[in-house]
Amino acid sequence: MTEPILSLADARLTLAGNAGPVEILRGITLEVGRGESLALVGPSGSGKSSLLMLMGGLERPTAGAVRAMGHDLTAMNEDALARFRRNNMGVVFQSFHLIPTMTALENVATPLELAGHADAFERAEEELASVGLATRIDHYPAQLSGGEQQRVALARAAAPRPAILLADEPTGNLDTATGAVILDLLFGLQERHGATLVLVTHAPELAERCDRLVRLIDGRLATGEPARKAAE
Amino acid sequence: MSPAFGIARRELRGGLKGFRVFLACLALGVAAIAAVGSVRVSIEQGLVREGATILGGDAEMTFTYRYADEVERAWMEEAAEAVSEIVDFRSMATVERSGATDRALTQVKAVDAAYPLKGEVLLEPDIPLADALGTARGLPGGVMEQVLADRLGLSPGDTFRLGTQDFRLTAILEREPDAAGSGFSFGPRTLVLTGALANSQLLVPGSLFETKYRLAFASGAELAQLERQAERRFRDNGMRWRDARNGAPGVTRFVERVGAFLVLVGLAGLAVGGVGVSAAVRAYLDGKVAVIATLKTLGAEGRTIFAAYFLQIGALAALGIALGLALGAALPLLLAPLIAARLPVPAELGLHAGPLAEAALYGTLTALLFTLWPLARTEEVRAAALFRDVAGGGRNLPRTRYIVATLVLLAGLVGAAAWFTDATRLTLGAAGGVAGALLLLVLAAWGARRLARRLARTRAARGRTALRLALGAIGGPGGEATSVVLSLGLGLSVLAAVGQIDWNLRNSIATELPEVAPSYFVVDIQPDQIDGYLARLESDPGVEKVETAPMLRGVITRINGRPARQVAGNHWVLRGDRGVTYSAAPPENATITAGVWWPEDYAGKPLVSFAAEEAAEMGLTLGDEITVNILGRDVTARITSFREVDFSTAGIGFVMSMNPAALSGAPHSFISTIYAEEAAEAAILGDLARAYPNITAIRVRDVVGRVAEILGAIAAAVTYGAAVTLVTGVIVLIGAAAAGEAARVFEAAVLKTVGAARGQVLAYLALRSAMLGAVASVVAIAAGGIAGWAVMTFVMEADFSFEPVSAVLIVAGGALATLLAGLAFAWRPLSARPARVLRDRE
Repeated sequence: MTEPILSLADARLTLAGNAGPVEILRGITLEVGRGESLALVGPSGSGKSSLLMLMGGLERPTAGAVRAMGHDLTAMNEDALARFRRNNMGVVFQSFHLIPTMTALENVATPLELAGHADAFERAEEELASVGLATRIDHYPAQLSGGEQQRVALARAAAPRPAILLADEPTGNLDTATGAVILDLLFGLQERHGATLVLVTHAPELAERCDRLVRLIDGRLATGEPARKAAE
Repeated sequence: MSPAFGIARRELRGGLKGFRVFLACLALGVAAIAAVGSVRVSIEQGLVREGATILGGDAEMTFTYRYADEVERAWMEEAAEAVSEIVDFRSMATVERSGATDRALTQVKAVDAAYPLKGEVLLEPDIPLADALGTARGLPGGVMEQVLADRLGLSPGDTFRLGTQDFRLTAILEREPDAAGSGFSFGPRTLVLTGALANSQLLVPGSLFETKYRLAFASGAELAQLERQAERRFRDNGMRWRDARNGAPGVTRFVERVGAFLVLVGLAGLAVGGVGVSAAVRAYLDGKVAVIATLKTLGAEGRTIFAAYFLQIGALAALGIALGLALGAALPLLLAPLIAARLPVPAELGLHAGPLAEAALYGTLTALLFTLWPLARTEEVRAAALFRDVAGGGRNLPRTRYIVATLVLLAGLVGAAAWFTDATRLTLGAAGGVAGALLLLVLAAWGARRLARRLARTRAARGRTALRLALGAIGGPGGEATSVVLSLGLGLSVLAAVGQIDWNLRNSIATELPEVAPSYFVVDIQPDQIDGYLARLESDPGVEKVETAPMLRGVITRINGRPARQVAGNHWVLRGDRGVTYSAAPPENATITAGVWWPEDYAGKPLVSFAAEEAAEMGLTLGDEITVNILGRDVTARITSFREVDFSTAGIGFVMSMNPAALSGAPHSFISTIYAEEAAEAAILGDLARAYPNITAIRVRDVVGRVAEILGAIAAAVTYGAAVTLVTGVIVLIGAAAAGEAARVFEAAVLKTVGAARGQVLAYLALRSAMLGAVASVVAIAAGGIAGWAVMTFVMEADFSFEPVSAVLIVAGGALATLLAGLAFAWRPLSARPARVLRDRE
């Protein structure tokens, strides 16, 4: 593998629960190569989403190291992490997480604007057109279907041309047909921009589309294998 | 037990979370009204209990410019166990020392040995009144209020003069038992014996004075019956009756009015609270959609669900009202020493059921009014809400029965306020004002949202992320723009209206009036003094204008032979005595609006020219005959003309002017107004007072100052009332900010995920709050300005000009309050980790 774009070394995450501390991640060591697509699979509660959040700097590890594009994410404060994401990462969630008081266009333009792009709105419009929503740019999230909302979320994640795309069960809330469309768009974006994709999913057929598959069980890595090879 | 009751009881076990704002809003509004009502009733009861002391006797018979005649005196002696005669008039107290003369206006009360029949006069040093007023070392004694002694630089033992009589100041008048019943006076009080004024040249025929006969009756005397008797016999002689049942009618009326006004301000506060109550119920029920849908799935009918939530909200409302009543009852008791010390009348602050019941009624009606619509929405929730995200049936208005019920409640609330405050017009005006302000605020919120939406999409907003986000949030769906603008806006509107009215009143009295008003108002100029008086003034280059007019006072007793009150009701012209003058020619500045003035040499039956506006109000027409009792004598005159009289400039204005032959034989004096440059005023006063010690010159600027002081005190009371409204508004605002916190936390998490630094998130939250506050403030200024204009124009009949300083303060204050509330609730959005927030919503 060439130099990893994402690397975790003995990353641990413990959260406070009602019955005491809960160990979510128990020492994850993992590298993701530039341009690679990686599927994180495992049963519910195994820590897939938490691992994705650590990679995105949205959660801090209790112990261990998380590096992205050569930067130590654990050494950055909240604002530095935000700026890092703004320039290098796009995140897609299962529940879309669009801001309800913004139109589709405004939602997509926001990260571009935060990154200081003068042409934020023009680019956002192009991005929405690329996911097939050219006619829906002035709609608020509540006026869009689930599939359309997820396409807006995809456009928002991809608009700044991030080197890393993180997707947390992006089709979990969608029907099979709509989910398939979203996946085509997601992988299309990844390929077009040469981005690294880390995807959390429950669906084996989705995981199969990735270069590599990592299984988590109870906060630990079970296997690491090339997904496509595994499928062959 | 009905299913609704069971559901309500089980749901209430969840506690009061989310209802703090609901309870605070209701409790505060109810508390303010209950407290105002309690203080008002305490004062009113004090006035009734102490009626005889305040009046100075069980009853009082007042005559203008004359003493009671023998018949009247004999009736008093027969009816009462004791009679005390008091002469009340304005004069100048003067002090001469080392060639210089100091003068000050004073309200003289000349008493007899029987004074006071009730209560006690308190002097400093504490000596008996008889000793203080008695003659010692050849000079009669006199006492005066501290403020007057200070103005003249006097201390006990010094000498002062009234008219041409010297007095020795023996003590300072600390408390006069009958002070509150005496009404407005132009100057501080001086107390002397009537006998000592014999050589003062002050009480001569034609002088302006009042005599008051205080009567003490045997216990068990029927005051109402005595009043009827006295009125029947002496009313037409110009006698006015007052008795202990209402010892200080002026004060009673004043307390009633201020009380009514404060209750209305309190109701505005309740309306502001209502916005918070409504929002709290709406938020609570929004959180209950799944529960309601489940209940429907299980077979609960719409009305069962409505009843269940109605019972819950009803129980909470009862708790809020009870808290408010407890607070409203306790506050006057806790602050009793402070309140009692500031009141000019006796008041025993205690618990009074009446005002508490009134406040509870307002609270109940308001709670019903503002919770009915949100509650009605529970019927619209469908079982399908469990499976799809549909909160209601898409209906904007509730069912007809709820709309009708709302209108009935609104009418009930306004009706109750009108009934209790006994001020229907004021209540309707206030209700209209609050409704208008609410409408204006709703429209403004709608307009602001549309504008914000447009602005957010303009090129100017692009690149300014925080600004665009703030504009987008205000203009976006489900924004809290409306609730914030409403909650803060209504409170600020009340404050702005009070600010505008207060400033305009002060301005018209303190600034505009002196510009058109004379410098001095001079009374008691004797007919033989008028030529010399005019000669002194007309030769003075500092004097711009002098007006003089003969002045008598009389009571209108009959109109066309019938008792005047039967014809014209309780018009102000009929209340007490009015000035009457005579003139051969129409006054220079008068405009005859109907009829003709009499020929200059007319000497036939009495004719009168009447003020046009007042005549119209009283239903008088040309040719009517009015009978005026002047100095105990009836003069019946025919109305031959109406003329415009402007009473607002403080110049000479008489309701009635007769032909000279009708009145010139009666003893009278002249009044005069002097328009002079301020620099010339002192010399004029000095010369006139030296030459004519009996005359009294009232400096208009001083009177204006006194009136402004009183207005200031009223404005302060009203401002406190408005402050309660504002505090309620701020609580509602905090409630709105708290309700929006979860949404802000989510937005901040998403923004951080897509790369926003905390500073950018904070800037967005701050801008959003400040802009909403600014909108509320701007609307408040507009609403306050309109209300101020309406009150000044229609109630005060005065000019209105917009006052910018309080307006700017209100905008700044409103924006700041919203900003602070917004920032206080920005902490969690800023500090929350995005991963946790977003995961919680998965």
